[in-house]
Amino acid sequence: MRAIAQRLARQLVLVPVVAVASYFLMAALPLTTETDAKRQVSKELAASYQRDLGIGEPLGFLRPWEKLFRGERLGTSAQGITGDELLLKLSGSVGVGLMALPLALAWALGFALLRTRWRRGRWAALGDAVPAVAFGTPVFIPALLLAPAVVERGHMLPELCAALVTSVWPGIFLGTLVGDALETELSRDYVRTALGKGLAQGTVLRRHVLPNVWPALLDAVGPVATSLLAGSFAAERVFGLPYFGQLYVLAVLNKQVAVVVVATTTFASLLVFVSLAVEVLRYVVDPRSREATA
Amino acid sequence: MSRIPPRARFGLVLLVGLGLLSLIAGRLFPDVLSSTCPLGMDPTRPDRTVCELAFGGLWVSLAVGLAAGALSTLIGLTVAAVARLSGGTGEQLILRAVDAVFALPDVLVVMVLQLAGQSLSDAGQAGGLGPFGLMVASLALVGWAGPARMFRNRLATLEAQEYVTAARALGGGGAHLLRVHLWPALRPFALAVFLSRLPAAILTESTVSFFGIARMEPMSLGRYLGTSYAALIYEGGGRVVLPAWALLVLLVLGASLASQALSATPRRAA
Repeated sequence: MRAIAQRLARQLVLVPVVAVASYFLMAALPLTTETDAKRQVSKELAASYQRDLGIGEPLGFLRPWEKLFRGERLGTSAQGITGDELLLKLSGSVGVGLMALPLALAWALGFALLRTRWRRGRWAALGDAVPAVAFGTPVFIPALLLAPAVVERGHMLPELCAALVTSVWPGIFLGTLVGDALETELSRDYVRTALGKGLAQGTVLRRHVLPNVWPALLDAVGPVATSLLAGSFAAERVFGLPYFGQLYVLAVLNKQVAVVVVATTTFASLLVFVSLAVEVLRYVVDPRSREATA
Repeated sequence: MSRIPPRARFGLVLLVGLGLLSLIAGRLFPDVLSSTCPLGMDPTRPDRTVCELAFGGLWVSLAVGLAAGALSTLIGLTVAAVARLSGGTGEQLILRAVDAVFALPDVLVVMVLQLAGQSLSDAGQAGGLGPFGLMVASLALVGWAGPARMFRNRLATLEAQEYVTAARALGGGGAHLLRVHLWPALRPFALAVFLSRLPAAILTESTVSFFGIARMEPMSLGRYLGTSYAALIYEGGGRVVLPAWALLVLLVLGASLASQALSATPRRAA
């Protein structure tokens, strides 16, 4: 347990680091309305910049969070956000990510099995080409191709399509890792022994091989969760979903700096939460992890 | 050349081929391309053909990827070398910082850095960096953590080799070992790391440009796709998006194949 606590402490440090770094980066921006020639932002936005970031005040970096907890609006009235709205948008993005996760696992399992089969035949090159095509296809391209058909339909179809396009690359990436782990495990002596004793191939896979493959899968879940959440930014933008990704992109485009600070820190906290979940899951699923931390 | 694995050779040929094609078609002879383009004019920019914009974008994306990949590889190598040379607590601290940067998604951080860079640029404080320089700097500032981890691990492995131990026993200092004994063994790996950063940088740039946050001019493939996706609403709009996508996929395929094959190549004993 101590090792897990140490890992968590390391991850948790990320949150204040991101909060402080993003605050000071944003607070140092030369957003100015001093003269008309230099005016880069509206007066309203510049006023909200000073007000929301508490520039020049002691502990000013806590100001955006104080405002959020008091239920006040960050940023300008038209494009700003309250704490409740932020949570609502975040839950929307997390919902899309949660829909994408099982889809990614399905892609992963399917691709891992196909890759293992392809490796023995004339389709071996596909085992390399499919990951390259999946990696080389930014999320927004399949989203663009699907968008005209689904954007107006509603009934969660845009959310489902966003989850689908977001899940492809992480799924194929996971599938490559699982495929490699599967192949390594299948070539081990214990598999030959189990088959030699008369166990069916499916039983050997389920009872002996897969428990040894789970750790490789869990190792990759953290980066995959990051790419699912980051990928959902593009998908939300294309499908017009008013969630966290859309909020973030609009905040950057409109220079809503306080919203950027808060959203960046919230996103980092979400990643830490995912890491925590993965560590707990690993502790439950992988006996070697329990032995190592005992 | 004969020692390069076939997959890496294919990837490198693909990369160089696309680079030459974009240089010749997109930069040197754009007039020929505009008069012979079978895909017709771009619906949102009626004065330019789809081929001109796609190959011009390919050239810009490739240039951004090469510059950002090289810079992030260089920063990663420097950080890894400093970490190994400092050792102990210093190395652990550097590794924790690397992990912190590595945990954040590239796209998100590049967006924030673009916002900061553009605000500085608007106020005339960007130090002469244009949109291209800003994008390269943003991508390098985000992308160095992965190479730093890979280089640090490879350096630790190499340092355990007998010839390094012997050189150390003969009085070789850290900097000497790094320059004379470790760098020659690290060079092919550095090329593989650089090539692995290339597609990541190109894709991140494409996504950020697609959002309209980067002001790349002339347009990269991502910005081209980002500004012309309205064409998909019209019939036959796929002819605008699909060529740019295909070029992006080929670019990433070339870099990925070359990088995977080079990093997996076993080193021949000297």
